[in-house]
Amino acid sequence: MDAVVVGSGATGSLIAARLAERGKKVVILEAGPERKRSDLVSSTLWARRLKWSGARVIETGSRPVGHGFNAGFGTGGSATHHYAVWPRLHEDDFRMRSRFGRGLDWPISYDELRPYYDKVQLEAGISGDAVQESWRPPGAPYPMGPVPVFGQGKVIARGFEKLGRKTAPLPLAVTSAPYNGRAACIWDGWCDAGCPIGALANPLTIHLPKAFAAGATLHHATRVTRVLTSDDGARVTGVEYAQEGSGARGKIEADLVVLAAFSIENPRLLLASASSRHPLGLGNAHDMLGRYIMSHSAGLVFGFFEERTEPYMGAFGGQLVNQDSYPKETHAQRGGFGSYQWMIAQAVKPNDLLGISTTRPDLHGDAVAPFMKRAAQHFAGMTAVVEDLPVADNRVTLLNERDAQGEPIASVAHDAAPESTKLWEAAVAEGKEVFAAAGAQEIWSGARGAMHIMGGTIMGRDPRASVTDSYGRVHGLANLYVAGPGLFPTSGGVNPTFTALALAQRAAQKM
Amino acid sequence: MSETSLSRREFMHRGAGAALLLPFIVGGCEKRMTAAEAARTEVPLRTLTIGEGSALSRLGSLLVPGSSEAGLAHYIDHQLSVPAGENMLMIRYLGVPAPFTGFYRSGLKALNAAARQRHDADFDALTAEQAQTFLADFAAGKIADWQGPPLPLFYFVARTDAIDVVYGTEQGFASLDVPYMPHIAPPSNWGA
Repeated sequence: MDAVVVGSGATGSLIAARLAERGKKVVILEAGPERKRSDLVSSTLWARRLKWSGARVIETGSRPVGHGFNAGFGTGGSATHHYAVWPRLHEDDFRMRSRFGRGLDWPISYDELRPYYDKVQLEAGISGDAVQESWRPPGAPYPMGPVPVFGQGKVIARGFEKLGRKTAPLPLAVTSAPYNGRAACIWDGWCDAGCPIGALANPLTIHLPKAFAAGATLHHATRVTRVLTSDDGARVTGVEYAQEGSGARGKIEADLVVLAAFSIENPRLLLASASSRHPLGLGNAHDMLGRYIMSHSAGLVFGFFEERTEPYMGAFGGQLVNQDSYPKETHAQRGGFGSYQWMIAQAVKPNDLLGISTTRPDLHGDAVAPFMKRAAQHFAGMTAVVEDLPVADNRVTLLNERDAQGEPIASVAHDAAPESTKLWEAAVAEGKEVFAAAGAQEIWSGARGAMHIMGGTIMGRDPRASVTDSYGRVHGLANLYVAGPGLFPTSGGVNPTFTALALAQRAAQKM
Repeated sequence: MSETSLSRREFMHRGAGAALLLPFIVGGCEKRMTAAEAARTEVPLRTLTIGEGSALSRLGSLLVPGSSEAGLAHYIDHQLSVPAGENMLMIRYLGVPAPFTGFYRSGLKALNAAARQRHDADFDALTAEQAQTFLADFAAGKIADWQGPPLPLFYFVARTDAIDVVYGTEQGFASLDVPYMPHIAPPSNWGA
């Protein structure tokens, strides 16, 4: 093979498509089961089958990263059930260390990544309004108009407006109109269960069909257990894998290996690929592998309104955005540092982890039914995506314990920097202020959830302080790449998928 | 990988009104029915014991009225019997390693132990008044000498499961006047 791509998620499928389109012989190895669009049942219960059910991951620390909810398993990986909220990182996200003396610097600037954001958004399709979204850094206008605003979005926007703040359409990789042969979304809020109609830009809709059309192949239930290197350790030669079920093992030789198995599995696999030439694991000559794991804190604010709010309508990711708190020092007076954005008016279902009932887990017995009846028609909510400052000791390590296939289990430790916690507190306080200004009859906040997992294989200029270069190429191994949000040296205050895809598009042209 | 291409209209018209049907073993044969029907017709549990099912059913009915009638015990019992990747329980999000039977079993055992310590009776035999007081303490994490999984976690899991069977189905949505709007409805009876 010319290339083995490990993982069929967002970045793996993009890279496979680009390589195959250039005539490369590409195989994608996916540990999870095959999933077709016709398997994406509209049910919060069935949706849980899309989530991680691979090897156990041990989570430690005061702020667990929520791997079981945030990781995917099967065709399309976590992108199959992601909510397609696709804002860009801002310029300062790339230069935090040099500008503020905190966090880390990326080895590239926003300007260098900008054309790849533009290319990916044209290919996948984003609905939005780049003019109204005034906080957005420079870039091409969105190819589709904004998503609609329903009752929930309208009442919350009222609150921002009364406080002299603005909202803009949330940029979503969801079709607001027919696009490239894909149907427009019908705003039924089933994104978490996976989109079977092609309105949401997931790998099953966008890049996997292109990869297959160009000759790439995909093997499911095939877990890569080791990345193999030459005798002198200078190059990777392929991968070793184990088949789910039979446990049969095999090897595939390849000129190029791309690890796109998400932020925990990528470093786990690199650590597990230690050899005599790479005793600490591949890309780990300076003990940087697995470090700087980051996870956004979710600032959840909810309320009841007199009006009917249609909380079940719209996209799961939301309808509107506010990024007034994006400048890093906005909440310095409260001890917070970093960025956050508001995703406003997520479509909610009655049940499930992000459902209405879970916003008040204390309610039980006779209190449940009246709450649910009222909430079904009068509930509104919004979510802050709060930056997580990179901490070196937040990391993935290998345990001596083995999983059912005999492979070493990953442990991921995560605690929040104090400034990140203060920032989350400031966000929740602001959210309640907005709801009060909007005229909410009741206001409450939710537990500090964890969303998105980034870092673990960070990019950087200095091999002593990073794992890969700006293309995701592992330091010291010219034909081994890492893709995905694990490359991020900082988390920013926006959802990671769009940035991960832009990086992958840039890297694919280099490979 | 082959792909069945379905138009939006086809998706919209699929299975409107379908219930959450699961395969149960009745008289040695697989039969698809709702968890509520399984409970009503007393289909044998396959993983939980009768006592465990009874305790779970009572707990569910106290946490979320209607969950027992919706077949909570049979739903959980069924889910505990399927491979981890097919499991639809919320617990798989919560960092508890599969298989999950041990979690439920130890939680229900602790529940009964606490009930016996307080009232010299199993949980499902408590009077209504006893059960309400017990539940208030259970929900508040105030059961002394709790020996099972972390009490707040067990409460959250049990409550969530009860919410799922009452409100997580098309019938549950309808009870709240929430339009279900499925692209693909949960599997209906395929003639099994």
